[in-house]
Amino acid sequence: MNEIHNEKFASIETIQKGLRGKGYISSKQIATSLFLSYNLSKPILIEGPAGVGKTELAKTTAALLDLPLIRLQCYEGLDESKAIYEWKYGKQLLYTQMLKEKLNDVVEGAKGLSESIQNLHKYNDIFFSTDFLEPRPILKAIQQKRGAVLLLDEIDKSDDEFEAFLLEILSDFQVSIPEIGTIQAVSKPFVFLTSNNTREMSDALKRRCLHLFIPFPEAKLEREIIRLRIPYISESLMIQLVSFIQQVRELELKKLPSISEVIDWAKVLLLLNSDSLNLDLVKETLNVILKFEVDIELIEEHLYNMIAKAKKEAAL
Amino acid sequence: MESVIENFIFALRNSGVRISMSESIDAMNAVKIVGVDNREILKDSLLATLTKSFNEMELFQECFEKFFSDGSTTDHEKYVPDNFKFESEKIMSPLSQMLLTGNKSDLAVPIREAASAVDITGIRFFTQKGLYINRILTHMGLTELNSDIRRIDGDNDFLSSQIAEKLKEARGALLGDIRDFVEKQFSLYSGLATEEIKEWYLRRIKLTNVERRDFEQLQKIIRKMAKRLNDVHSKRRKSHQRGQLDFKKTFRKNLKYQGYIFDPWWKMKKIDRPEVVVICDVSRSVKTVVRFLLLLIYSLNEVISKIRSFIFCSNLVDVSNIFDNYSLEEALSKMQSGNGLPIQLGSTDYGRTFSNFKDEYLNIITKKTTLIILGDARNNYGHPHAEILKLLYGRSKRLLWLNPEDQLLWGTGDSEMKRYLPYCHLAKECNTLRHLEKFVYDLLTIF
Repeated sequence: MNEIHNEKFASIETIQKGLRGKGYISSKQIATSLFLSYNLSKPILIEGPAGVGKTELAKTTAALLDLPLIRLQCYEGLDESKAIYEWKYGKQLLYTQMLKEKLNDVVEGAKGLSESIQNLHKYNDIFFSTDFLEPRPILKAIQQKRGAVLLLDEIDKSDDEFEAFLLEILSDFQVSIPEIGTIQAVSKPFVFLTSNNTREMSDALKRRCLHLFIPFPEAKLEREIIRLRIPYISESLMIQLVSFIQQVRELELKKLPSISEVIDWAKVLLLLNSDSLNLDLVKETLNVILKFEVDIELIEEHLYNMIAKAKKEAAL
Repeated sequence: MESVIENFIFALRNSGVRISMSESIDAMNAVKIVGVDNREILKDSLLATLTKSFNEMELFQECFEKFFSDGSTTDHEKYVPDNFKFESEKIMSPLSQMLLTGNKSDLAVPIREAASAVDITGIRFFTQKGLYINRILTHMGLTELNSDIRRIDGDNDFLSSQIAEKLKEARGALLGDIRDFVEKQFSLYSGLATEEIKEWYLRRIKLTNVERRDFEQLQKIIRKMAKRLNDVHSKRRKSHQRGQLDFKKTFRKNLKYQGYIFDPWWKMKKIDRPEVVVICDVSRSVKTVVRFLLLLIYSLNEVISKIRSFIFCSNLVDVSNIFDNYSLEEALSKMQSGNGLPIQLGSTDYGRTFSNFKDEYLNIITKKTTLIILGDARNNYGHPHAEILKLLYGRSKRLLWLNPEDQLLWGTGDSEMKRYLPYCHLAKECNTLRHLEKFVYDLLTIF
């Protein structure tokens, strides 16, 4: 990988500091995984609930390393022509039309069918050369001269078959195109895969990656994140907020509130000019953090106790 | 360090985490990069390289704590109390010396060394514990210690007999420590072996004899089986998919390119996915096995896309949607109790069931359908209506009957199996997991 950026990834601490400088607060575990992934040149498979900053981590890493971020959003039915490469059929056709007369020249003077074909064979692979190749994200990523950060987002949404295409790029950083041959990475890209675990990935894929599980942050980390994102929030409101959210996550909800939703909520509360939580306010704004009617109903009976507990924590 | 990581990986495998060669190499490389001085970083690095799912992470945490815990290092307690002063010129073996002067943490290292010398990682069964304790003790020099004690005791003066007494006490304490150590190692290295033996046993035991506490384990095995069958099966289908070049279609398709052939078209071999209809008896006579029959249908439901399932006792009920909509546990208990289903749990009536089926669902049996009947054919001396089975036999592609009873018992008492037998393409005894497995395999590959 690129030598220039090495100092930013020289140790686990510098990574943590660098990410913080770009507005991403990472746990030690995240920094360790990045460090290993960078030094072992291995892709990194990130799992965890929605909204804990999986995609954000890849973006921030790209910003930190000052490399282009190439992103491939996976979905059902995604295939190699959309993800790796495709032939420019239009261009091929256009060129054959334009070169029709030239073809006559080539074949001219040849005696018989077999000799004409012989002549044609000399120009065999013109139409299947790199000029007619349309690189898609994966091929694009390995062609970047300075290296790149390749993000395969929500890999669990793709089909089983698509995983097989990925194996080559993940283990050897190369792409095989039958008509041309194997294209090696100019400089190895930094590959991130994210998964929400809607389906189990195959062992072959997992084996080629480092595994990182990002859980919901602990109270201390979450406070730091909010402080960084919303610097003008008052200390007591922030502590109440985080304590409240941590309690919410302990309940059996359909969808737990993510970090981004918490940040939104904090902004909403600030907009409403409140500096502490109270029952009515929370009730009215619950829909910012909870997205299901059943969840809101479930939480309402606990609200009073939870707010009281949050306030007690802030008073300490 | 490398051998420590190797042993750790071995222990991790034993606790159920699957680790391949390349992952262990990664782990070694990672350790080389990050070093071993920071416990947390070492843990995170190993975690990133060795585990692949949330489940495995939990196993890892547990195993890591067990493996790298070393309770004795902080233990400065001595085998022989400090206040016992002695001056003796007696020549003693290194172990005896250490016991008299050293503290427990000094001996932790020799215990570990002895353990690796006798290859503790080979421990599998709890019956081996004594053996390994003995080996470790012998390796550390128990024989010499014993002869020291005998010799000193025989010197017949006050000091000597006191030393001997202390040595005996220390020997007892050492034995206790080694026992604890072996206990810990056993829990690290034996996990999988026990599981494997249990699985082997469960596969062969009759389903009627499985005990309640083993249900969960058995379900896991069936799940695993269904998944493996699915893997095998889906691979089969794909390898058959691509056939030869289809000239007609290729030309037609490429006409728009003025006859230039860009896009070859292949003849596809179409392999039908099996279409399955299952009818399962849930009456009292098959109560003990019905759970597993249902479990099998549930697994099949996950593997085969087109499946209709029915259960019956006195009458017939369509339960396909229950398998689709409920989790395994819920579906099973719903069906066994009949809660919320229009099923009458009276005496079993195969005749009525068949006529119900004929009246309402006959049209779902086509030339492509495989019909599977699970039941013991004990009809309480009612009319068997074998002619309906004959009709189904004629309409379906295959009619299979799985009977949980021994083949010898077919046709005895109120069993109508002999009457139904002529109209089954295949009738099999099915009362162990191995039978189930064999059957599902046949179903997916042959039919």
